[in-house]
Amino acid sequence: MIHEVLARPVPGGAAAAGGALAIRDLHKSFTIGGAPRTVLEGINLDIRPGEFVSIVGASGCGKSTLLRLIVGLDDDYRGEIRLDGERVSTTSLDRGIVFQDHRLFPWMTLAQNIELALRNTDVPAARRAQIVAEHIALVNLTGFEQAYPHQLSGGMAQRAAIARALVTEPKLLLLDEPLGALDALTRVRVQTELQRIWMAQRSTMLMVTHDVEEALYLGDRVVVMAPEPGRIRRIVEVDLPHPRDRAALLHRLKDEILAELTAAPGGPSNLVHLPGREAR
Amino acid sequence: MKALLARGWVRAVIGLVAPALFLIWWQVQALSGGAHALAFAPLESVGAAFVELAVQGSLFSDMAATLSRSLSGLAIGGALGIALGVAMAIWRPLDRLLNPLLQAIRQVPLMGWLPLLGLWVGTGQGTELIVVSLSAFFPTLLNSYEGVAGVERRFLEVGQVYGFTPWQRFRLILLPGAMPLILTGLTQGLAFAWIASIASEILLGVGGGLGVTMQLAQMQQRLDIILVAILVTAALGFTINQLFLRLRQHLLRWQAPLR
Repeated sequence: MIHEVLARPVPGGAAAAGGALAIRDLHKSFTIGGAPRTVLEGINLDIRPGEFVSIVGASGCGKSTLLRLIVGLDDDYRGEIRLDGERVSTTSLDRGIVFQDHRLFPWMTLAQNIELALRNTDVPAARRAQIVAEHIALVNLTGFEQAYPHQLSGGMAQRAAIARALVTEPKLLLLDEPLGALDALTRVRVQTELQRIWMAQRSTMLMVTHDVEEALYLGDRVVVMAPEPGRIRRIVEVDLPHPRDRAALLHRLKDEILAELTAAPGGPSNLVHLPGREAR
Repeated sequence: MKALLARGWVRAVIGLVAPALFLIWWQVQALSGGAHALAFAPLESVGAAFVELAVQGSLFSDMAATLSRSLSGLAIGGALGIALGVAMAIWRPLDRLLNPLLQAIRQVPLMGWLPLLGLWVGTGQGTELIVVSLSAFFPTLLNSYEGVAGVERRFLEVGQVYGFTPWQRFRLILLPGAMPLILTGLTQGLAFAWIASIASEILLGVGGGLGVTMQLAQMQQRLDIILVAILVTAALGFTINQLFLRLRQHLLRWQAPLR
């Protein structure tokens, strides 16, 4: 099943060059009701080019804030965020994002919504329609090019948002609970599609989720965050080859991470590397 | 019942029931005799007056005059209202500068400006057009302002992620996002412009139009002609409003249907 899906061509194809993300001593605080409140504290994270990293954590641990800082929608932070050595200060077409809500413009058709991502790229205008069509096919939405977002189901709209984020071939793609609003079945399907796309494009991906199984299914590593203030509690290596199936192999890891998430605060130190391999 | 209502002609017929009852009541009053029957011209004389005006051609020139006055006023007031409303929503200093003045002006009913305008620009067609334009201006201004100011931040962030220029931000996000309210403003502006046209024609009585005819007919005590003018005003106003709603539906076809 997975191999059949993989046989389909993926636009972009070759591995995107670069995409190494380095985060050093990142602090972020908001002022709420006059008092400063730390949302992220001492975040250190290195992501290799082409790696898929999942972030899990309870609500309020600053996961989404972290992604907003990396994508460049908020530049008010202490510490450093560098993509391929360059400091992040504003948005750039090198960094794409899929938001939790699909954020398709309701006044544009599906095709127009995806095409808008290419407006400020150097892709020649003549090629754009074809690239848009390829990406619509990639997320299995062929036939819905002229549909307006209100005519799409939640899952379709979210897949369209993924296509919009992929069309610029960003070096780093951030995914902010992209599948959170989907029902369980659609979710599994889009996860499979996401894995297929990632394997073909090999751009660096950083996904926030609250679903531990999803984090394990897709991630090369899973970053476990703790709330108030948001910090990294542990990083788990998932040493399993892609494409993965959802078999029992993932279960022991899932139990461990769930235990971590539900444990009392002040648990084990950060950055424990855990070999995920398990003897069959 | 529901299936019946789904048919267009059934709904149209139901919509005609109330006007028909009204006309019957009218005719009964007109034929009942007595002092107050003077205020009710019998329907046949209204019909005769309609034919008379139509044959003369004055009915059509009146319709054209009122229609062009309303639409020119809508075009002038609407364009200024959209431009200023959008500009104020995008550029805060302009909002701070003009908002108090505009709010104060808005408190004076439009017809309250007539004496002043009369002294400034005379009591000619120019004054009529100014009043009509002003009446279309305010609803368009307020709605355009709200429309642009209400465009959701999450959409603007998408533009930021894809490196939109200020022009792209305006053309692809702010303007289409504000379009439902801009069109609401224009629809209200149209209704106000229509009312202001008739009213200023009645008060100033220059340049032709349905209002001018009403006023002349009043002086000549031609109740039948007044009624023809009123009926034509109602029918014409209803028609342009319907056309405008169609246009709105087409422009906003991207919105989920309300029902």
